[in-house]
Amino acid sequence: MKHLALFAAAIALLALAPVVLGGHGLSVMTLTLTNLVLAVGLNLVAGYCGQFSFAQAAFFGIGAYTTAIMSRDLGTGVWINLPAGIIIAGLFGLVLGVPALRVKGHFLAIVTIAFQTVVYLTLVQWTDFTGGQNGILVPGVGETSILGIIRFNVQSLDSYYWLTLALAAVAIVVAWRLVHSRLGREWIAVRDDETLAQAVGVNTTTTKLSAFVASAAFAGAAGALNAYTMRTAAPDDFTIFISSIILAIMILGGKGTFLGPIVGAFILTIIPESLGEFSRYKMLFFGVLLILTITFLPGGIMQLVRNARTRRA
Amino acid sequence: MTETETNMTRPVLEARGIVRRFGGITAVDGVDVTVGQGEIVGLIGPNGSGKSTMVNLLTGELAPDKGTIRFAGKDITGVAPYRRARLGIARSFQMLRMFTSMSVEDNMLTATHIHMKRGLLSSLLNLPSARAEEDEVRARARDLLAMFELEQFAGRPVTALSIGQQRMVELARGVLSGPKLFLLDEPAAGLAPPNVDRLIALIKRMRDEFGISILLIEHDMRVVRELCDRVVVLDSGELIAEGHPETVVNDPAVIEAYIGKGWSRRAQA
Ligand SMILES: Nc1ncnc2c1ncn2[C@@H]1O[C@H](COP(=O)(O)OP(=O)(O)OP(=O)(O)O)[C@@H](O)[C@H]1O
Ligand SMILES: [Mg+2]
Repeated sequence: MKHLALFAAAIALLALAPVVLGGHGLSVMTLTLTNLVLAVGLNLVAGYCGQFSFAQAAFFGIGAYTTAIMSRDLGTGVWINLPAGIIIAGLFGLVLGVPALRVKGHFLAIVTIAFQTVVYLTLVQWTDFTGGQNGILVPGVGETSILGIIRFNVQSLDSYYWLTLALAAVAIVVAWRLVHSRLGREWIAVRDDETLAQAVGVNTTTTKLSAFVASAAFAGAAGALNAYTMRTAAPDDFTIFISSIILAIMILGGKGTFLGPIVGAFILTIIPESLGEFSRYKMLFFGVLLILTITFLPGGIMQLVRNARTRRA
Repeated sequence: MTETETNMTRPVLEARGIVRRFGGITAVDGVDVTVGQGEIVGLIGPNGSGKSTMVNLLTGELAPDKGTIRFAGKDITGVAPYRRARLGIARSFQMLRMFTSMSVEDNMLTATHIHMKRGLLSSLLNLPSARAEEDEVRARARDLLAMFELEQFAGRPVTALSIGQQRMVELARGVLSGPKLFLLDEPAAGLAPPNVDRLIALIKRMRDEFGISILLIEHDMRVVRELCDRVVVLDSGELIAEGHPETVVNDPAVIEAYIGKGWSRRAQA
């Protein structure tokens, strides 16, 4: 209950952002929340289930292109494209998950990098379908309604921000339920000790696959919505660099902790975007920070928080 | 034998002609092991004689090169380890294994998933029915922790416990999973003498109160003598003797095996 109250308060506070923030600030906040959904999703497979992945941006892209292609070819709206993005990204999560079952450690990292690369190259090369390097323009969400009851018009930057905030809120609730369910306990069991997990009756194959699918589905949701916000889906938004940034967010925040990727998303999106003219050194910043974190603080910011708590106790 | 007769006399576990090689060495060489309903069978032998390999073959962690394994009347030779666990085979590990990032209680609860009847969806949605079931298994976990004198540690990280206590968690977790057969790989290893007495009492209760049949690997002969109805002796992967504990330890072939390999200090004790 305490958790729920804090969560509701945080969302309410964030909902007020358009009141105080200008255009740039609001774009940064929208990006923050998008990164949050991506990192929270990645944390399910990499943090809780222990299956490292460099492919989160690929699923992000698959979600975005689902919106773009379905809008273009079928004329469907956001309430069709968003679930479609989730489902299609989830299915591709299965496509990555199956070969990933056979490998661990560095080899798993390589498999996920290969998957990320194949998706990126497909987006670039399959020009007829994906628009190639230029990508696809996406119409705005425009006038829409939830079940024909709550009507609203999504046009301004503010309304895209609120839509992204709503997605982030739902993503956090879903992630909370996942990791606090039986399934979440099985993910952790697989991460801690696969042999023991099998010995107590956990089907480690389906457990891992479910983590890959869940993680990809989160990215798909973020992508499907982000295509609207950006009004375009273009391959360069879905490179391995984006995957690395999401990975950095999760690791800096604290992988395998619930708050870690959430805290990480705020810090690692807002700081680099505030670097002004230095922001072209963003990747350098991420790289150095990631190395420092992995070396000196493998548990991320949440490890600091935990240490401080135990010292007080 | 008619089919009904077979069923009546059929043991819980029936492993026949099991062979397992690792490269050049044959770790298990044509071994038969049976465990009857409610029986405690000792599996002993010098270091490297193939005892743990046998357990890993029975749980499915390793596949045999030859032989068949029947459990509760079913051929499980090719069945995956997690399925064998669901059928009712629990195990402990010679080298302690724990879900190291979990609390003692969560370590216990992992063993209950196999019996949860509520669907995954109701667990995800935290429906009242799922919550009721979760509360029920938590209560059972607490009861078992109490039996193993661990109840005050339920909420603690499992790694905060001593190795001896973690061994007890391992046993409690196994019992919680409601197995028909529990494979114990050197449960007394590293326990202080008073705790060995407690262990003996607990293993007896597992059989008497929970009806669990047990295959017990143990070097401590006192434990073997006090618990086992029957003992199977391995040497270099071969079964060299089988019978009542007292008869077996006096069997010249058994003594020879232990002396030949350098009589294990623990076995002498
Ligand atoms: N995974 C493996 N790969 C190669 N050889 C193995 C493997 N596991 C066991 N062995 C070998 O098989 C033989 C039997 O080993 P096992 O662990 O079953 O013996 P044990 O009877 O349990 O011994 P201990 O009393 O020391 O636990 C040994 O020679 C061991 O080196
Ligand atoms: Mg052994």
